[in-house]
Formats: sequence, C-alpha cells, structure tokens
Amino acid sequence: MFTYLFKRAFTLLFVLLGLAVLIFVIARIVPGDPARIALGPLATAEQVTKLQNEMGLNDPYPVQLWTYLSGLVQGDLGKSLLTSRPVMDDIMGALPATFELVLFTVVLQILISIPLGVIAAIYRNTWIDSVLRVISLLGVVTPGFVLAIILQLIAAHYLGFFPVTGRIDPGIGFSAEITGLLTIDGLIAGRFDVVIDALRHLFLPAIALAAAGIGQVMRITRTAMIEVSSRDFVEASRAYGIPERVVTFRYMLRVASVAPLTILGLEFASLIGNAFIVEFVFSWPGIASYGVRTILQKDLNAVIGVVLVSGVFFVVANLAIDLLLGILDPRHRIRAGRGS
Amino acid sequence: MSVMDDPAAPAHGLSARQMALYRFRRNPLAVIGALIVISVILAAIFAPWIAPSPESAGSFVDFRNRHSPPNWQNLMGTDNVGRDVFSRVIFGYRVSLGLVVWVLGVAVPFGIVLGLCAGYFGGWTETIIMRFTDIMLALPPLAMALAITAVLSPNLINAMIAITLLWWTWHTRLIYRIVKGQMNEDYVEAARVAGASHMHILFRELLPNCFSAVAVKISLDAGFVILFGASLSFLGLGVQPPTPDLGTMVATGSEYLPEMWWQAVMPGLAILYAILGFNLLGDGLRDMLDVEL
Amino acid sequence: MSRLLDIRDLCIGFDAYGQHRRVLHNVDLHVNEGERVSLIGQSGSGKTVTMRTIIGTLPMPPGKVEQGSIHYNGQSLLDLNKQDRNRLKGTGISIVLQDPMLSFNPVLTIGRQMDDVIRYGDMRLGISRARTERRAHMIETLKKVQLTDGNRVLDSYPMMLSGGMRQRVLIGMALLNKPRLLIADEPGTALDVTTQDEILALLNRLVAEEGLSLLLITHNLGVVREMADRVYVMERGHIVETGTRDEIFDAPKHAYTRQLMAAVPPLYGAGVKTTRHEGTHPIINVNAVTKTFETRSGWLNRVTGNFRAVSNVSLTVQQGDIFGIAGESGSGKTTLAKIIMGLTKPSLGAVQIDGRLLDGFAGTQDFRKLIQIVYQNPGSSLNPRRTVGDQLAVPLKFTGFDKTATKRRISELLDLVELPQNYAAMYPHELSGGQKQRVAIARALSVNPKILVLDEPTSALDVLVQSTVIDLLHDLRREFDLTYVFISHDLSLMRNFCNRVAVMLRGEVVETGPVAEIFDTPQHPYTRALLSAIPVISPEEDARKPKVSKEERAAVLATSTELEDT
Repeated sequence: MFTYLFKRAFTLLFVLLGLAVLIFVIARIVPGDPARIALGPLATAEQVTKLQNEMGLNDPYPVQLWTYLSGLVQGDLGKSLLTSRPVMDDIMGALPATFELVLFTVVLQILISIPLGVIAAIYRNTWIDSVLRVISLLGVVTPGFVLAIILQLIAAHYLGFFPVTGRIDPGIGFSAEITGLLTIDGLIAGRFDVVIDALRHLFLPAIALAAAGIGQVMRITRTAMIEVSSRDFVEASRAYGIPERVVTFRYMLRVASVAPLTILGLEFASLIGNAFIVEFVFSWPGIASYGVRTILQKDLNAVIGVVLVSGVFFVVANLAIDLLLGILDPRHRIRAGRGS
Repeated sequence: MSVMDDPAAPAHGLSARQMALYRFRRNPLAVIGALIVISVILAAIFAPWIAPSPESAGSFVDFRNRHSPPNWQNLMGTDNVGRDVFSRVIFGYRVSLGLVVWVLGVAVPFGIVLGLCAGYFGGWTETIIMRFTDIMLALPPLAMALAITAVLSPNLINAMIAITLLWWTWHTRLIYRIVKGQMNEDYVEAARVAGASHMHILFRELLPNCFSAVAVKISLDAGFVILFGASLSFLGLGVQPPTPDLGTMVATGSEYLPEMWWQAVMPGLAILYAILGFNLLGDGLRDMLDVEL
Repeated sequence: MSRLLDIRDLCIGFDAYGQHRRVLHNVDLHVNEGERVSLIGQSGSGKTVTMRTIIGTLPMPPGKVEQGSIHYNGQSLLDLNKQDRNRLKGTGISIVLQDPMLSFNPVLTIGRQMDDVIRYGDMRLGISRARTERRAHMIETLKKVQLTDGNRVLDSYPMMLSGGMRQRVLIGMALLNKPRLLIADEPGTALDVTTQDEILALLNRLVAEEGLSLLLITHNLGVVREMADRVYVMERGHIVETGTRDEIFDAPKHAYTRQLMAAVPPLYGAGVKTTRHEGTHPIINVNAVTKTFETRSGWLNRVTGNFRAVSNVSLTVQQGDIFGIAGESGSGKTTLAKIIMGLTKPSLGAVQIDGRLLDGFAGTQDFRKLIQIVYQNPGSSLNPRRTVGDQLAVPLKFTGFDKTATKRRISELLDLVELPQNYAAMYPHELSGGQKQRVAIARALSVNPKILVLDEPTSALDVLVQSTVIDLLHDLRREFDLTYVFISHDLSLMRNFCNRVAVMLRGEVVETGPVAEIFDTPQHPYTRALLSAIPVISPEEDARKPKVSKEERAAVLATSTELEDT
C-alpha cells in the first residue's frame, strides 16, 4: 500500500512540474508582449521597457523559467496587474469559496448520479429507465450558462428562497477563519444560521455546475452495472442464494463503481473549467471569477496562477479518487504497486 | 457470458450490419437525434434561404420593432435592436457548425495519429506522448481556452485555434486505450510476420478498429464543441458582434431577463436543441456499434 | 430410486432482434438420488441454457419457458413463488461454474464471499451462527476440498490464488450450504490436464462422501467417461441420445454420438493413426536456447528477479516433420515458437532455419517465404475490421505481388483451404470458427513457405471441426511438402498428428523422440504423469495409460493445493 501511495504521489509531482513548465511555455509562445498587452496600446515605449524589465521578460528563457519555478516553490506567483497585490494572496483569498463550491458539487454528483445509475440499471428497458435517461440527457446537454440563467430566473423570481449571488448574506456578519469553508467553520462555531445561509447560497451554483457530470456519471454507472451484471460471479452469487439486494450493492456496485469514479476524476478539469462560467453568473467570489476578471484584463501573472491552481486541484482530486479506487478494488492497488 | 451458448450472428440469419441497423431503428431516441442533427445541418447550409429575415444576421436595426415577444412574424421574438431572433439563431448554427467542422477536422486526425503512435510503438514514444497528454488533460479546458483567446485577442478564428489546441487530447487518450487493447490481439503480430510495414499496421490494421469509437466520439464531441464555443462567446471571448452567435445572444439577452425572456431563452434552447441532437445520435451510434468510450 | 431432479418436455425460446428462436426442444432429463449424470454437447447445443433454467438464473425475458416442467424433490420449480425458489438456491441445488477466475468477485476476499454464502443460506433456513462458527465451517469445508491452509485462503483475494486452488475453493463454496444436487459446468476445463485430473478425482470423492447427486455439463467425452453413471447427449437443443455410461460408450446409437466419438483422437489402441516420416535434412536447429524475462516491482520499477521462460532448449526439426511441442500452460512452448519465428530474441543460444542463423535473417522477405505461423485463436489473429480478401493480400503485398497476381493468388488460396470464392468479401465475424482458422491457414500459406508453426491451431474449435482442420493440414502438407512445428497441450491429438514430439516442463524439454516411442514407453515422470491424467474414452486406452503413483507424481508436479509464495 505504501509503495502504491509513493508511486502515485511521485507521478503526480511529475505531472505538476510538467504542468508548470507547460503553462510557462504557453505563456511565452503566445504572440504578443505581455508588458505591452498589460499596459495597453496607449503606453509609451519607455513604460513598456520598464515593465518588461520588472517582469524579467528581457532575461534569457531558461533564466525566466528558473525564476518562475523557484518563485513557485516559495509560493510566489508574481504580482497581479489588476489588483496590484501578490497573485498568491488573491488566490488564497478566493480559494476557499471555490473549494467549497466544488466539494459540494462533487458530493452532490456522487450522491445523485450513482444511485440513479444503479436504479436505471436495475430497471433497465422499463419506463423508469427511460425517465432517468431523459434526466441524465438533459443534464449532459444543457449548457452550464443556460442552466445557470434558468435557475436564477426560476429561483429568484418565482421561489425566492435561494439567493442568486454571493456566498453568504452580507448582513449575517461572519468570517470563516479556520478552514475558510463557511459551512464547516459555521458548524465549528456553532452558528447554524451561517451554515444554513451558506447552503442556501451554495445550492443553485452547485446544481448548475453538477448537472453535466450527474448526467454523464449516471449513464456510465448504468452501463457499468449492466456490464458487471453479466459476469459469471454475479450469476454464481445468485445461484448460491445471496439476496438480490446484497448482490447488487455489495457484489456489483463495488466492481462497477470503478468506471464512474475514474470518469469523475478525469472530468474534474472540465468541472473546474465550468466553474468559470458558473461563478461568473452567480458572482461567486472564487478563483474562477477572479480568473475571468483577470483574463479579461489580460493580467498574465494572475492567469498563470489561476490555471496552475486549477491544475493542482485536478491532480489532488485524482489522487483522492485513486486512493478511493485502491480501497474499493484490491487489484488497482496491487497492479499500481507492481508497476505498469 | 451471453444469454445463449453461441450468440453467433448466423444463428439469427442476420448479418452484423442488419443487427446493428435493427438496434438503431429500435431506438427511437437515436432516430430523433439523427433528425435533429439533419435539421441543424440543413438550417446552417441553407440559412440565407430559410431565415425569414436574412438581414437580421448583420447589424440591421429596426427600433420600432425591438423587444417584441414571439409572434407569427418573429417566431422567437426580436432582440434589443429589433432583429428577428429566429433568423439570428439559424445563422448562429452556421457559426457553430463551422466551429465544429474546423475544430474536429484538425484536432481529431491529430489526436488519432498521436494515439495510434503512442499505443503501437510503446517505449519512449508512448511515454512522451501520453505524459504530455496527461498534463494537458489536467488543465481546465474552458479556462485555458479563455486565457488563450484573451491573449490572442478575442474573435472566432482565435477561439477556433484555442479549442483545437485543447481538443485533440481526448482523442489521443481514446485511441491510445483502444490500440493498447488491440495490441494484445494476434492480428497485429500476424501482420508483422506477414512483412507489413509500420504504416500499414497503423493505418490499415489498427485504424479501422478505432472507427466505431471515433464515430461515436465525434458525434458526442460535435455537441460539446458547440457548447464550448457558445460558452466562450457568452463570456465575451468568442465571436464578436454583429456576427450572430448563440452564446453571445444569450449573454446579451440575459440583460433583459426576466421580462423579455425570449431574447436569452430562445438562443439558449437553440443551443440545447443542437447539443441534444448530437448527443442522442452519439448515444444511438454507441448502442448500435456496441462501443464503450 | 427417486428422482431428485426431473425435467419433462422442456421447451425454451428466446426473443432477439425481433425474431423468436427456440433453443431447447422437448428436453427430458432426470437425475436420481445419489446419481452422477452427464449432459454432453458442443458449444451452442443448449446445455448452458438448460443449467441456467434449473438454477433459476436464466434471464427472462428474453428467455421464455414455452412448455414443460422442472421438478426438484417433488416440487415444481417453475411454479414455486420467488421466496421458496430462492430458499433452494445453494441449499438444495448448487453450482460450480466453468471459469474459476470469473466466478469470484475480484474485489472481495474469499472469506468474505464464503461468509456471505453461509450467512444468507442460514438466514433463509432460520438459523443464526456466530462469526467464529461460520469461519470454522468455512475452514472445515476448505479441508474437504484439500485446502489445509484455510486461514490464508480465506484472507486472500481471488487473484492471489492459482487456477487449481480457485477451482477447489469454488467447489467448496458450492458445498457450504450442504446442497443435495450439484451442477458442475465444465469443471476443470479451463485448467491444465494434470490439474483437471485432480479436480475430477476430488469431485468424484465428494459426491460419494457427501451423498450428493451430480449433474455434469461438459463437451469432453473423456471427462464424461470418468464422471458419469448416466449420459445425455444434446445436439442443437435436442436430447438425441441417453443411456448408461457403458451403453453410450460401447454402443452409441445416434449418428451424432457416433460422430462425436469418432472425432476424439484416441490415445492408444487400434484407432491410433501414426504419422511416419524419417527426415534426413534438418530444417530447424534450436541450439541451447534460453530466454529470460525480467520481473519488475517496487517503486521505480526496479528489476527484482528473473524468470526463465525457456531454459537451455535444443531441438532439431527435419524437413517434412510434423514436430510436436507439448506442454501445459507456462511450460514455455509458445515462447519457444516465438523465438523460432524470430519474434522474440533468445537471451542465450542460437536458432538456425534452413541453415541460416536468425540474426539479420528474421523479418526479411526470404525469411517470410520460408516460415509462417498460424495462431491459436483465429478470432484474434484475423483483423475483425478487414475482409478475408484484404487480410490474405497483406503478405502478398509485402512480397512484391502486383494487383492482378494478388487477386489470382487469393482465389487459389481460398480453393486450397476449401472455402468458396465469395468469402473473400466477407468479414471474419460472418464466418464460423473453423472457417476463420482456414483463412488463417491460407494467409500463412500465401507466400509458399516451407515451414508452418502451428500454435494450438485447433484448441479454440469444437472437436468435430477440429478433425476437419487436421485433415486439411495433412492434405496441405502432402501437396506442398511442408514441415510443421505443432504446439499443443492436447496429447491425444499430437499422438495422431505428429511424427516427433518434445515434452516441455517449466521451460525445459524433458523428453523428445518419435511419437510412438514417447507415448508407448514414456521415460520421464512428467510425461508419464501428463499421459496418465488425460481423460480417455475407452477402457482399452485407460488400461494402456502409464500408471503413476502419488509419490512419482509429486516429484515433478506441485498439487493445486499449495499456496504460492508471491
């Protein structure tokens, strides 16, 4: 198990390093001078040169790469041109909001899609399956921003219970200082009003963000369950008289959950990508809205920082899923421990 | 294990093609999907002839008729400067499908070739290609596309370039996985024993075995490319006005919510309609060709 | 004698692709208390459908019982309500499925799976036992199947056990709730013949000791002869013949039964065909060849060990030989074939084909015109997405045939392997297994090689089809003066096909010589053990098989009861 963990962590470290270098390369390959882009067309040549020097753009590329990487290791992502603060500080300030949203979304996805996928598989080719199929399809095909707008429209104007912007009612007066997650810190502080208000705020953006994944994971769970149900060991378990309920949940689901969880991990990058839209629409104060704002301002340092942090998110999420798979499926553990 | 001892096709007196067609026809959703896709493609091709008000596609202005709700004249209402939303949606499909053809036309062949090489040659080729793909896959695609377009200056061409740069990775991964599986089959070695060249094995032996999966993937992808492009323009980083684009229309229209809902909802539904069509078709093909992605 | 299981006039149909197809036709079958009954049939005969209907796992729909009845112990199974029906599962009727790997849930320990079987069995019978009691019962049951290290087995995941052990555990699992009727689907077929022999002996003993009744489903006549008191022969959903074992084997009445019997290659006796050939011109020379594979593990994939797949093997194949390389799985016979084909480089030693060393020669056009290979499974060696014609054209294209010459040659090749001309436009899935293998043989012959390496060319085929392919190979050899290297685990077949054999065990050749010599007077204990384990279809063959004592056997073969230390 330890070998396995080490190996995974090692691979991921490698991916992170590659990621950092790749982003650097993309940032340098893209035509246009970052200093010129940042200052706009009205800036004078001296201003541009001054900023170029400040940003180290006149150094040779290997030096730039080294400065950038060693800065990274120390948590230094440079200064944001938009806010004039260190990018790291901006990101750390916005990270908890995104983390809370994404975490809530993933939990929602797992809790909704896997059970529904199992139900669809059990009642396959009946009307229940058809209804679930339509639901999963709607989830997959509805564009995130359309869903977000529709949800806002319905919730705000017809229901009114779910707030349509922000993380928390500004009148509540609470700052999350332990984990940064309002729901968790609210629980720790015993402020249930905070927890409930935070959940109300989370609900709509999380649904908008989760929909695509729910549809997809549901579909994959269904397929995987049907595939597993035709395996010999399922027939054997039934023939030995193990009740259908146990066969389904203990014997089949455990084997079948590998595919949807893997997909969940792979789709994590898309999830973060979609967060850019959802946070934008719901004015969610997370790194994605920060990202959109800095992208629109062509604030290169900040953009690099946001993309990099998103990559870290992806890598960590996949490590978590890998561990989960290792627990669920001993073959995964042993195979990974043995190597390719 | 199959239901019958020997599920061989000849037992039914049906060929595999007949069985696949049977599965497709028995799947009404797939047929609906195919019809939707055909309607979208026809609308895009014949837009100037179909659209009731072709001049709405440009910077046409008719202030007397602005914000008019859906009626017989304007099936989807008019927008903030009085243009016919329905006509703009039809022209919007042109832009969307153009994007699809471009992105998939470039990214898919590229992704396939890399996937084939990685799976077939193994060793360092495999390591380099697949590690690079892994890293690309870790990047949030929408954020990357946003960033690239923003820096390159936002317009349709740059949006296409940005999406293409990101899209090939999924195909590389898919093809790589299929080829890795096929490499266990004896026919690859048999071809080598027969003296076949690498090119022959890659493109004549292995590639045909990837076709069904690629067909399904392309069909599903088409919907997602449309979505992706629309998302970019929704954030103001894709197609620029006055070119009619579904994402831009939703963004502009959403300023007039909820009273003048049709300006955002109609283009939104139009996007959904197209994506739905490609998805239903893709799912239908998946069942018909019996492939797993 | 009372009938424990009684199937009468059973008809079952399937709805698929909008068509209805009947797969079982008026099947009558019964198993008496304490009796061993075999149901024999080739693939597609409907024997698995019969089994699934009895145990109640046939999916309905698409399956449908159209008429007939199944009684177990006087109760009509098809009329029982679900609860009563489930109560019989595992406790009344139990099964041992064919594939010991696939029959376990890969993600749960053996102990967990066995515990579930006991617990839910108890629950239905209204008993409750403590965890420790259940564990004790499991260990005791594992002892019955000769697995003494019960605790370690229970804590293992299925993948950690060898095939033979998994098969034993599987049998134990079926016995946990003390059923009265055991249904075994091709027991041991997926295993090596020596392990299969152990498993069959174990089943026979258990049936006697536990007072079980046995319904054995198999395609192997030899197994039937060792395992059955009474036999049913099934062909395409019909029971075509039934009788006691001796009636069936001594005087088969139905043409199909007789055909089946005739297609089984005899190991000894008057029916044996001996291929005689004395070559004078050596065409393949394998000289002290060793192939070592590295095993890697740990983090960073360091090389942690070596595995010798082929160990110091020397062989000479004469022009015109049908040279058999016999061995069980893991014996290194396929690796040796790949070395001869130049597909794998030996770690030590050298191979000469037609007087030329393989280095620099393998892979050239001349080499390809000299030696070709036919693989075990045509489903895998033919590309599913290319037509027969396209595939036959590949070797031609790369040896300089032009378009018209290629076309002409393809048509000749189809004639050679007795396939109709229009097959050139077909895809492999439109062909039967035997036809596919003919295509593979045609492809190997396309550039007129002198040598064919045949890697278990008939093991994926039914016995009836096997004999037609073997006849074809004989004809081709005569016509083109071919030399065959025939790799197989099927010694009966080798006896009748080859003129010389080499027997391999764990990478080494333990015995080699003319076929009659090896089979009539085997010297090496492994060869003797191998021959003695083959299930045969006549008492005469049984009598002439070498007699191997337990000790002699144990000296060369590990039994499948030992845990491997990995």
